Amino acid sequence: MSKDIIKAIIGEKNFEHVKYARKIYKKNDFENKKNIIECYRNTMIIKKEINKGVQIKRLCEKLDIGEVNLNSRFYYYIDEFKQLYNQNIVIANFAIDYDKVLKCSLSEYKNLFVDSDDEFSKNELETINGIEILINRTIKKIGDHQVKKEIIDSLNGIMDRKANGFRDALQRILFFNQIMWQTGHVLNGLGRLDLILEKYYENDIASNIMSKKDAAELINDFLVNIHRFYKFKSNSLIGDTGQVIILGGKHNERGYICNDLTYLFIDAIKQLNYPDPKILLRVSEKMPRKLMEKALECIQTGLGCPLLANDDIIVNRLIDFGIKEDDAYNYGTSACWEPIIIGKSISQNNVFTLNLLQPLEKIFEEDRNLEELDSTDKIIKKYKDFLKDEIEMIGEKINNLKFEKNPILSLFIDDAVKRKKDVSMGGAVYNNYGILTVGMANTINSILNIEDFVFKTKKIDLNTFNEKRKRNYSEEQDLIKELKNNKRKYGVDREDVINLTNDIFVYISNILKDISKKYDKCIKIGLSSPAYIDQGKLTNASFDGRKNGEPLSVHISSDNSNAYTELIQFASKIDYNENRINGNVIDFLVTPNIIQDNFEKFVDFLLLSIKNGFYEMQLNVVSSDMLIEAKKYPDKFPNLIVRVWGFSAYFNDLPQDYKNYLIERALKNEGKNY
Amino acid sequence: MKVKITNIQRFCLNDGPGIRTTVFFKGCNLKCPWCANPENISFESQEYTIGNENGVYGYDIDLQELKKEILKDKNYYLGGGGVTFSGGEPLLQIKKIEKLLEELKDLNINMCVETALMVNEELLNVSLKYIEYYIVDIKILSKEKCKEILGGDIDLYYKNIETLFNAKKKILFRIPLANKYTYTEENVSLILNLLEKYKISYVEIFNIHNLAENKYKSLNYEFPKIVGLTNEQLKNLKEKIEGLDIKVKVCKL
Repeated sequence: MSKDIIKAIIGEKNFEHVKYARKIYKKNDFENKKNIIECYRNTMIIKKEINKGVQIKRLCEKLDIGEVNLNSRFYYYIDEFKQLYNQNIVIANFAIDYDKVLKCSLSEYKNLFVDSDDEFSKNELETINGIEILINRTIKKIGDHQVKKEIIDSLNGIMDRKANGFRDALQRILFFNQIMWQTGHVLNGLGRLDLILEKYYENDIASNIMSKKDAAELINDFLVNIHRFYKFKSNSLIGDTGQVIILGGKHNERGYICNDLTYLFIDAIKQLNYPDPKILLRVSEKMPRKLMEKALECIQTGLGCPLLANDDIIVNRLIDFGIKEDDAYNYGTSACWEPIIIGKSISQNNVFTLNLLQPLEKIFEEDRNLEELDSTDKIIKKYKDFLKDEIEMIGEKINNLKFEKNPILSLFIDDAVKRKKDVSMGGAVYNNYGILTVGMANTINSILNIEDFVFKTKKIDLNTFNEKRKRNYSEEQDLIKELKNNKRKYGVDREDVINLTNDIFVYISNILKDISKKYDKCIKIGLSSPAYIDQGKLTNASFDGRKNGEPLSVHISSDNSNAYTELIQFASKIDYNENRINGNVIDFLVTPNIIQDNFEKFVDFLLLSIKNGFYEMQLNVVSSDMLIEAKKYPDKFPNLIVRVWGFSAYFNDLPQDYKNYLIERALKNEGKNY
Repeated sequence: MKVKITNIQRFCLNDGPGIRTTVFFKGCNLKCPWCANPENISFESQEYTIGNENGVYGYDIDLQELKKEILKDKNYYLGGGGVTFSGGEPLLQIKKIEKLLEELKDLNINMCVETALMVNEELLNVSLKYIEYYIVDIKILSKEKCKEILGGDIDLYYKNIETLFNAKKKILFRIPLANKYTYTEENVSLILNLLEKYKISYVEIFNIHNLAENKYKSLNYEFPKIVGLTNEQLKNLKEKIEGLDIKVKVCKL
């Protein structure tokens, strides 16, 4: 729907409305004009106020309160058509600490500010007033339903008491989660729900208020509600919501923690068969085998989750990076895989993507005398020079980022309240930025190919090689095959390949350290990024045999059917120290029958891989046959779910180029020709 | 010391207990018509052509180099896995690789062979010192047909089985199934006798597949059209074996 069409249908309102209506329209695939008009009419953008809290209060006054769902024991609703007016970037990618939300009533929060008249406190007070208004309006709306007394009790309870039971706790989480989304916070995670809810669950079971079966039903109901507005919640592709539930994990005193709820959540996710919300399981050598079995049962369905994050590696890396020990043990994620500290960090973890292949392309695109590049070392040196320029540019952009004032998050992220400093101004305990990288494998393979074909075997000289590349390897099928089949390549556990990868990774990281110092910003880097397709389109043919515009390699993966153990060994030897912690995920494609026929051995494999030292791992269980069928006959596969980057989605919701790339990778994984 | 192999395959889940690395040696003393690895029959390196791609099956690898490759996944052997020597007939190389076996044994690496077991007893005896786990094929058991079709000596086979049992080795029997060859009334009855005699508790059966067609073509070998079993036949055989109180797994290889 174009801006002009809306204008033509309805006449002028204002540009912001049109933009927002368009966004909503796009996400919901509205099919007819009536819906377009409806969508536009409902759209409201709360006008700018000097006091952000007042704006939030206005929003709470104006929001539609949805009908109560008689099939659910919870209330959850988002008015997709109303939003705050924002001049700057709204902070995204965080998880508030729901543990605190459960333990603290709204009046306790209010008391922190009533006697102060500084700007920060005024904003917070108005915000809390707004939340109160929303609670009261909601209660009024569902008031007639006698069966919904428990919900009303929970909503009332938010004002003046702690959460007092398992269902009550879940309702409170839902309510604040609703507020987060309603106020425009994308990629917001749910945190460690098995740990947070443990006490409430145990008490209710012990005092016979509910059975384990009741708990399972409540969890199911909870997840259905969280899933409800997933198109609205989606970020760049449908399904990319950042709604991550963290399960399991090490504790600095209690060792590895998991409980009934860990299993119940995995069971529920598996049973519901929704792509969203998704789970991340924090794994460790110390975890029980049966939990890994449970995780694999879920992965086996093809849901793409849980993603496995290796506490034995990650926690210590976070501590070394400067995160306090207690906090490092309480990490989570809220987008794909970038670690955040729950309730304490404003980590803008995926603000920019660094395309690692482009600086290499730059060397060879310009009219440079290639004769001076007579060794691999010289090429690498030149590459690093260009790379440095790129990174410095990103550093500058980071320095110029401005965030919208955020009294909502400031309420729930430490230490904003204590410092009376809004999180947008640096009030959080941890204020980090993260860069994602894409194309490391293409870069490494390109450099290795130049070394092997030009300098070692002298099969081709650099000029000719470059000319062929510039001509997009037209009529060069054999050369492409040779380039792609070089035995020295990314993902192979050869010392020379690993050293080269680490050399470049550490180089980037050192440049970033300087930039961090220069701007007094803490910047992290990682080897995973969603941008492999988009950035691929912007990148010309490369020396790894990739043609113009083809996708770049995915996260840490291997582009042929190498043994899984080989890729893990490779990934485990990458140096994740210092600032190189911003998500480093191995991405596997697995055919369903490998797990089916060897379930216990696959559990062994995952457990032993933890010991081996991978950082993070996700498994996409797909068969090429099924994907090809599903692309041809979408109607036959309405529920086929696949892992995309750090999220899962319905295969049918994906753009064609994502479908094609997944099919191509699945075929390669199965050793079939594409 | 060098030895000729065609491939080292990591993360093998079907070649013995746990997660394994399988080494394929070149050279075999049998000529099974259904052979799935025809590139491993000849003891010599062989050039091949697939489409317009040329290559060589087989390369010599230094034992220390081979050891290094095998140890790459040693972290994954902790769950009972290890290395499997396959081929071809790996026992034919056993003397050549004995030093490697010795070193791997010192490192507590579990070792397994996939063998047709029709080798002279001297070779088998060397293997007894190192190999813990034997995957043994049951092929054609009649003396004449074994000689005629496979070129093997069935007396040697029976004797070697006796040796393995006396040495209390772990043995997994595997039966490749092909109509007119291993699946005949006579052979099935001989197989059942063998299983009964040694009170086997578990056996794996698998249908012959025609996946090796490209490899045959690449070597300019004539591709033998072998007829595998129908599902009905498979089910029948499975029930017969189960009748002896033996667990049967039908493998999809």
